[in-house]
Amino acid sequence: MSTTVLAPVAGRALVLAQVPDPVFSAGMVGPGLAVDPERGAAEAVAPIDGQIVKLHAHAFIVAGAGGRGVLVHLGIDTVQLKGTGFRLLAREGDLVSAGRPIVAWNPADIEAAGRSPVCPVIALDAAAEAVAALALGPVRAGDELFRWE
Amino acid sequence: MAERRVTVQAEVGLHARPAATFVQTAAKAGIDVTLAKVGGQPVNAKSILSVLALDVRQGENVVISAEGDGAEELVETLAAIASAP
Repeated sequence: MSTTVLAPVAGRALVLAQVPDPVFSAGMVGPGLAVDPERGAAEAVAPIDGQIVKLHAHAFIVAGAGGRGVLVHLGIDTVQLKGTGFRLLAREGDLVSAGRPIVAWNPADIEAAGRSPVCPVIALDAAAEAVAALALGPVRAGDELFRWE
Repeated sequence: MAERRVTVQAEVGLHARPAATFVQTAAKAGIDVTLAKVGGQPVNAKSILSVLALDVRQGENVVISAEGDGAEELVETLAAIASAP
């Protein structure tokens, strides 16, 4: 089984080691990639087809075929913003197609609030070797980001 | 059956680092172990997806359960992680 995970935001695809948070950069949450988003108002989209099993303002999880879950975290330490600067465009429990907008935000505002807007995109419960990058460098929202074997 | 009930103390709840540490420790165990909110359905404590989706907030009480060799020690260790500030 193979899952293609899409970039939830436009920007620059990075390896997790470049994420300024050791919980993500060390792969503690799981393997994946990150996107350093373009600064400006944008909509973060679903990275895979599936169900939104958890929806916070600053992070969401979509679980798809075979129960595979992908976490999208909008910025680092953004839980502390308590939702300010994020607007939900979907509801927890919704069935979504990859590419559907989930949260509206502006990475420039996150940065202005003193936090990194870098977005880790994590394959939950995946082995590190199961994930292969499909993009590094510039990506648009909805572009293929990594393959999860 | 070994079981511990603890209150999650971390400000972020059982997310981010506390969740990752909890699941990594559980995943190393050779026995099944579950996590539940008090009165709720238990989930696989070895799954970061399940633990994050359970969405345990600061101040919530959880029950950690395991059965088999080393169960007592395992739930003790996990309880300490879950209740760390």
